Amino acid sequence: MATFDLNNDGVVVIIGSGAGGGTLANELAQKGIDVVVLEAGKRFDLGDIENDEWAMFNKISWLDKRISAGGWHGAVNHPSLPTWIVKGFGGSTIHWAGVSLRYKEYELKTRTTYGEITDANVEDWPIDLDELVPWYEKAELKMGVTGRTTGMPHLPWNNGFRVLAEGCRRTGRKNYNSGPMAINSVERDDRPACQQIGFCMQGCAIGAKWSTMYTELPRAEDTGHCEIRTDAMALMIEHDASGKVTGVVYADAEGNRQRQKARLVCVAGNSIESPRLLLNSASTMFPDGLANSSGQVGRNYMTHATAGCYAVLPEKVHMFRGTAVAGIVGDEVRNDPARGFKGGYTLEFLSLGLPFMAAFLEPGNTGWGRSVARALEQYDRMSGVWVVGEDLAQEQNRITLHDSEVDQYGLPVPIVAKTPHNNDTEMVNHAYEVTAEIYESVGATDVYELPAYPATHNMGTNRMHADPSKGVVNAYGQSHDIANLFVSDGSQFTSSGACNPTLTIVALAIRQAEYIAREMSANNI
Amino acid sequence: MKIRFHRQRPAPADHLGMSRRMFLMTTTFAGVTTAGLLGPAGRLSAAALDGAQSATLLRVVQDIYPHPDLLSLAHYQAIADSVGADADEDAAKAAALTDGLARLDALAQSLYGKPYVEVEESDAREGLLRAFQNEAFFQDVRWTAYFAIYDNKEIWPLFGYEGSSVEHGGYIDRGFSDITFVPQGPTLEERIAQVQQ
Repeated sequence: MATFDLNNDGVVVIIGSGAGGGTLANELAQKGIDVVVLEAGKRFDLGDIENDEWAMFNKISWLDKRISAGGWHGAVNHPSLPTWIVKGFGGSTIHWAGVSLRYKEYELKTRTTYGEITDANVEDWPIDLDELVPWYEKAELKMGVTGRTTGMPHLPWNNGFRVLAEGCRRTGRKNYNSGPMAINSVERDDRPACQQIGFCMQGCAIGAKWSTMYTELPRAEDTGHCEIRTDAMALMIEHDASGKVTGVVYADAEGNRQRQKARLVCVAGNSIESPRLLLNSASTMFPDGLANSSGQVGRNYMTHATAGCYAVLPEKVHMFRGTAVAGIVGDEVRNDPARGFKGGYTLEFLSLGLPFMAAFLEPGNTGWGRSVARALEQYDRMSGVWVVGEDLAQEQNRITLHDSEVDQYGLPVPIVAKTPHNNDTEMVNHAYEVTAEIYESVGATDVYELPAYPATHNMGTNRMHADPSKGVVNAYGQSHDIANLFVSDGSQFTSSGACNPTLTIVALAIRQAEYIAREMSANNI
Repeated sequence: MKIRFHRQRPAPADHLGMSRRMFLMTTTFAGVTTAGLLGPAGRLSAAALDGAQSATLLRVVQDIYPHPDLLSLAHYQAIADSVGADADEDAAKAAALTDGLARLDALAQSLYGKPYVEVEESDAREGLLRAFQNEAFFQDVRWTAYFAIYDNKEIWPLFGYEGSSVEHGGYIDRGFSDITFVPQGPTLEERIAQVQQ
């Protein structure tokens, strides 16, 4: 691994080592561009991965103080855990399940498709699908996504998904399969094929699932053009009198403040930390925070309209055996306002282990007693889904800074406010009904509805928009206000779509790397 | 937040029957312990709790996650012991626990004219506990019970959960796709054909 001097002002500083930051770092380093990655968490490797839900939760989660606010149930039931993401080398690509869906064209053009929606801030992306497709293909090849791009077959169907799939068949659905997943179904790219271990979201112990932890990051280091500093928490981005960013102040492992100079800075700390860092970097010149002339930094926070739904079948299912997200149902991903809501949702088979099922079946203080105990006795006969629905952006769903409370770094604690739009509520209710119908067609006796988990899909808080007054960054994730400041994670999403964000984050990062290299060569940045 | 139990069938009668059988078993057992038959070395009574409160705590732990068909009294006793041991370590916790259990008994007395452990209807006992569910002492007991039951590798097999698999080579040869009440998924050849059209 290269090392760079703190005063080297020719490097690109990337904050975060997950899907966005890790991919961007490798893409730039492969082009010979010098990169310093600041990762707030520890260095992890495959030896750290255990098949244990709570042990891994405690080991890798981002557990710094956060305040969960707004009208969603988590403001009461998960008051300090609005999100479920990772602090560590590889970021949330350790935790993600591997689902690699592309946006649909209408999901990128939500304002055009849906029109103005009361109490929502729905806008079009400044990119259309045709433009994204080649980048999606590059991302699929990089990550090893099962399907036509790689020619790698989808994974074998496990028990839990076979029940869901049969229900789909009996209820006339057509679009259900065990992919696309960024999990090797055959040995590929120096990584083994999936062994149906389960525990995908606790980190894949054999590296069959793509994660930057054992792909992009070590490969970037191997180029000699990338230094990754772990236990390095970015505190503030600095700028000069011309308004260009000049470096990043961070806390190192000993808690000492360091200042890494930079030619440009790319923020990829996920949708809470990225806007938080921009807001914390407010200065005389930028009193509302960096890149925030639109006032949109921290706003339009989206998590997906989501829920869990678990059915009890007449026979044993043992859903925990095998891939955690073993299948995807796409029939409901369409804009059909006759259903009572705009946009659509994906149903994704998702196994939970007994510990998490017992914690999330009915989260909060009320989740005990005879009804809960009885449900858990049916655990080995359950199959169920996670709902990933389009969540409408709303300006009041946002990240703000607490005015007095600070975290261990002395930074104001982020307040994460989320209130579902009526559209989200209608959609989730529809998803519960549809899921029940699917499972009842295969003989389900009981169907349990779980409310949203702390969010792993966090999007929108530095949104892209063609119009600088309506968005933070342009179509390349470049700040409208500051040419050498980029956003490289899911916070640049304009809408949430009904698909897991990682593939799109990676596609955008590859595209952004091309743009940055071009603009650096032309001395535009 | 109350989740809606969607289309849940009524509990089978035998489940309720087992609850009642277990209730009787427990109260008898609790009586035995308070009679001191386990001797001075008995670990059942935490220093912080007197005999009656130890019996109340045991009943509370059973009522928080009742699994009369799956778990034995010893499982619940171990949880109550663990709660008691925590209280012995922390005076504030002990005070909150003894006070909470006293108020639980007081509520039972005011509504049913008898202490908590003597209220026979499990619904009624759960109703009494619900009045305390937002209090820290109750949630301490509840989460201790949660981890001791659902995050306990010894107990997992009773629920049909098999846990960690990487050390066994995953579930690929251990039943990941062994159910017979729905059709098989596509074969490898079919899956290859799908992506190579």
